[in-house]
Amino acid sequence: MKNYYDITGDGGSNILEQVGAMQAAIGEKLAGVKHRLAIGSGKGGVGKSTLTRQLATALRGRGNTCAILDADLNGPSQARMSGLRDVPLLPGAEGVALPKDAHGVGVVSLGSLVPESEAVTFDTVAQGDSYTWRATREFTAVAELLASIDWGHLDYLLIDLPPGAERTLQFAEFLGSQTAFILVTVPSDLARGVVARSVAALRGTPNRVLGYVENMRGYWCDVCNDVRPLFPESEHVDLGLPRLGSVPFDPELAAACDRGELAVGNDRPWWVAVQKLAETVEETIETKPNASAE
Amino acid sequence: MKFLCVPCDKPMQLLEATPPDRGSVSLVYSCDACGYEFAMLTNPQETQVVSSLGIKIGTDGESESKCPFTGMLTDMETAEAGIRWTSEAEERLSSVPEFVRPMAKTGIEKYAKDQGYVEVDAKVLDEARSHFGM
Repeated sequence: MKNYYDITGDGGSNILEQVGAMQAAIGEKLAGVKHRLAIGSGKGGVGKSTLTRQLATALRGRGNTCAILDADLNGPSQARMSGLRDVPLLPGAEGVALPKDAHGVGVVSLGSLVPESEAVTFDTVAQGDSYTWRATREFTAVAELLASIDWGHLDYLLIDLPPGAERTLQFAEFLGSQTAFILVTVPSDLARGVVARSVAALRGTPNRVLGYVENMRGYWCDVCNDVRPLFPESEHVDLGLPRLGSVPFDPELAAACDRGELAVGNDRPWWVAVQKLAETVEETIETKPNASAE
Repeated sequence: MKFLCVPCDKPMQLLEATPPDRGSVSLVYSCDACGYEFAMLTNPQETQVVSSLGIKIGTDGESESKCPFTGMLTDMETAEAGIRWTSEAEERLSSVPEFVRPMAKTGIEKYAKDQGYVEVDAKVLDEARSHFGM
């Protein structure tokens, strides 16, 4: 009796062809993207989205063409931070036009389309059973966005990932081996311990992990005019990755993100650190081997 | 998933797919060799899982004949009353992923209404792109 692999085609449903067509469309739309860089963590609340926003702006300031895909469909924040709420997706000549912020960074986020007072939902015939299909639908939604946006020629496409170590691994497999990763943590063993699980998960993939960024390493105090400690200084959990940079928290930055006005061009410590990070990312992604494999 | 006619050892072919009924679809497969037919009846969870893959069963993606899942797609009714769309503008809108198309359409219609237009055509779409800096 024939087995699955003995039979070519799928009996007329064309599922295989449709999956192939989607993959081909993604490949076509991303053909002009030089570097795909996923910003993940595993841990929530460590500032992945803010750091993604900052890094894209700094890379843009260094002459790169950049865009951000907000892959956190359930908690999209890039639209607000970029000042692009209420900007609709508009069809162009070669697909959906890429919305751009005031710095020229492209931003695709469901936050532009779904009011913050509403949950991101999908039509379903299996109401009440979302645990059986929701994750699959979300990946399909990201695939549809990747395949429909006219990304054009980009030096960097930054993908802002949702939290969860398992999601980090799933996105590595979904985005393919040509996508490099940067992991974000805060300087606490609690956070580093969770991020370590993502590091371990990514070791089983062919994806490059450039290193990690230590976010919120202290906070900038306008009164002291200095960076003050925010978390206990502890590095008991070794991530086994190079540290690409450390970025202090700045209340002024948090307020600017709320307003969708990422002020740059100043010399506040967070911006100096992010500019240094962008320089390190440029050097690392061009020259260094897979750090996780070392 | 593939289906095999065991007596003939031949793959079975999709013959018919009916529109969804309360989340269930009926797919009829037949064996070209012996003519045997059977129906696969899905429950809503199974229907939704397949639909979540973003694929259409029983169609090449262009034909509407066999796809039972297209009946579940988001309603495309306009949000702004009185705004018409030309066929060319509708065609261009089809490049927007289906799951966000209603929201995109609402945003475009809001722009059109704010500008005093009663119809969205290709020119309005181009103007909107320029307006939003794209």
